[in-house]
Amino acid sequence: MSQSSTTTEIPQEARDRARSLGWEEGLIEIAIEQGHSLQEIWQALRGGVDGVRARQFLSGGGFVRPDPWWMKVPTEWGIRARAADPALGLSIQDLMVGTYGDVPDVWTNRTEIARGSFPATVGEDMGYTIFDKAIVWADCCVPLYEIAIRDRWISATDLDWASLEPLPAEQEKAVCQLMTELSERAYLEGAILSGWLPAISYGYLELKLFLSTVIYDLARHAETFRKRALANGGGLGLQAPTDYSRTVAESRSFVELMATLFVQDSMLLTLYESGDLIAQNPLEREMYRLCARDRQRYMDYQVERMKHFLFKTPERREEQQLYLNRAEAKLVRDWNDPAVSEPLALLLAGDSRRMDEGHRRLRELRKHQVSAYLANLQRTTITRKTLNGRLQDILNA
Amino acid sequence: MAASSTSTPALDLSWLNLYDDATSATPGKKGMTLKEINLGRYADSARGPGDSTYRLRGAIARANAQRFGPNYQSKADVWSENCLMLYDEATQRQWSSARDIPWDTLEPLSDEIERAMCQLCTMLTEVEFIAGDVPGQWMPFVSAQDFEAGLFLMSQIMDEARHTDVFRKRALANGGGLLAQGSGLGLRTLIEARDFTEMSVLMHVQAEGFVQSMFRMGELIGQTEADKRIFRMSAQDESRHLAFGVMHLKYVLDTEPERREEIHHYLDKAEGDASGGGSGDVTFPPVFESLCILLGGGVDRFDEGVQKFLLLRKRQINEYVHRLAVAGLGDRRERLGPLMAQFLEPAS
Repeated sequence: MSQSSTTTEIPQEARDRARSLGWEEGLIEIAIEQGHSLQEIWQALRGGVDGVRARQFLSGGGFVRPDPWWMKVPTEWGIRARAADPALGLSIQDLMVGTYGDVPDVWTNRTEIARGSFPATVGEDMGYTIFDKAIVWADCCVPLYEIAIRDRWISATDLDWASLEPLPAEQEKAVCQLMTELSERAYLEGAILSGWLPAISYGYLELKLFLSTVIYDLARHAETFRKRALANGGGLGLQAPTDYSRTVAESRSFVELMATLFVQDSMLLTLYESGDLIAQNPLEREMYRLCARDRQRYMDYQVERMKHFLFKTPERREEQQLYLNRAEAKLVRDWNDPAVSEPLALLLAGDSRRMDEGHRRLRELRKHQVSAYLANLQRTTITRKTLNGRLQDILNA
Repeated sequence: MAASSTSTPALDLSWLNLYDDATSATPGKKGMTLKEINLGRYADSARGPGDSTYRLRGAIARANAQRFGPNYQSKADVWSENCLMLYDEATQRQWSSARDIPWDTLEPLSDEIERAMCQLCTMLTEVEFIAGDVPGQWMPFVSAQDFEAGLFLMSQIMDEARHTDVFRKRALANGGGLLAQGSGLGLRTLIEARDFTEMSVLMHVQAEGFVQSMFRMGELIGQTEADKRIFRMSAQDESRHLAFGVMHLKYVLDTEPERREEIHHYLDKAEGDASGGGSGDVTFPPVFESLCILLGGGVDRFDEGVQKFLLLRKRQINEYVHRLAVAGLGDRRERLGPLMAQFLEPAS
């Protein structure tokens, strides 16, 4: 590591820092001539070694021993987290001990500091905008994170692709049209949720971890539906309608985003739970079952977050109705699109010659979706005052 | 479109007549992977012009589709030739920090060693937190025409969540705790990037490359089997992120060679002729000191630790330069700032 000062370029910042620490002119060159690497010198400068100590060490040799002040910072020490449930392993729930388990109502640090660590005296603003627990938090996100990891599946190998058998052309196209729509909706939701991650501060770490599993789940749903569309003699159909999705993308806040997504998330969960009605083969039944399991975790979070939010900010209860009004109206527009409703009706009837029966069954399915949606809202303590008229018609039919 | 919700609407069925070419992907040795469905007019090689919607590649465009705001229109802006394979590998190699780490092998360590390990974990859980935000920031700008790159980024978000949690778990599992926040770790440069390729070269190639080189010395850093396993498993994930970045850079340089100087400029800034640590800076004193204590085996063997740290730094820099050369940026070695250049081995 020996270097000559004549061949080593010394960065200006190193010289500036040395000057600010009282290093006499030429001391860096002396250190290099004594065989110290530029890196060692830089570490001494970054470690705040002043000119007197530097001179002493260079007189006596050896590397400047640090003062490991970080060993003595007053964080909570002596933590031995243990798995409460050996089958689940050491979970993030097990880390919610002492001060490390304190999730603050308001997080004030604007840096990326890990919750529970000792803050630097000064740090740059990392640009987070969400600092209120009420906006994002639900206690269930802590256990749901590990459950999501435990229950993950792989579309490439956990579905029996070799079991697919040819379907009548119209049925296959109906499956493919539905897959095209569902794949796009999953991908879009994953992309938009991903875009919100940088807004959420470290105070709500566990929530961000859980959202990461949701994003990963949505990626899997997007590719699974695409695979199904391309695996059995069909192809991708018409892209999804854009009314509802645009509303999602237009959200100006996380609160609005979650209220807007609540509508579709609930409806899709019910659709997947009803997968046996539209599945044409065992692979699709299993696909819907697995997607419903993923969606249920997300719905549990959605419900608990909204309930917690309304409890903490009752003055914003009516505001949620506005977002729901808008989202319901746009979703209904999408539902009325022939490329959305007709494939479902055809799959429910099993034949394009029985579309009347298919539409009758679709109305039943929609009624089930709307009922479940209202029940999910009820769990959040929202009673829908002005349910969209078309959804109300579906319910009344 | 205004059909009553309670009556049967007039049939349209036009969606049944949009295409006639039947596609039947068949599963390969690794099942039905993205590679198996990358065929015909659905393949990335058949990518048409993008649009500003979330229409996935191969789906038929709606005439009335609304735009969703700007996203990258050129494939080169986000693409990496290995992103299909890397996404599939990510799905196959997911692991659980709760169950795949032998937490029961943790054993009491001397106070100084435990504190050094906890300090390192404090820094790493902080770094990994940002590493999840950064790809998230870019997801809305990745065109759905290149959705496999988006899928990969979503898998990376999951990986980084796991890394964030595993290092926090380690800090809180063996009688320790979190210690001093990292500061000046160079993480702002990652979130400040205004272009996907800038982000990728800084995060995937540089920052994750440095972290990867460190994780691969985990056998020396880790004091218990659990520690070593954490580094091994995390390194496996980092390899994918790094591979994406290297191949993305290669794709850009192959297809848009006019961007070479622009990319050098990003690296000039990030490597800095100043701090020289690069993104994910391990020269931050608490990180440097804790690494030296762990590598040396104690505070009283700090000097030995410094020598191993210098080897680590040397390894980081040379592997970094090698990766850039693989991507087609071999001339980077002539432009490294002095704090990095000091570790450079002669070109072979």
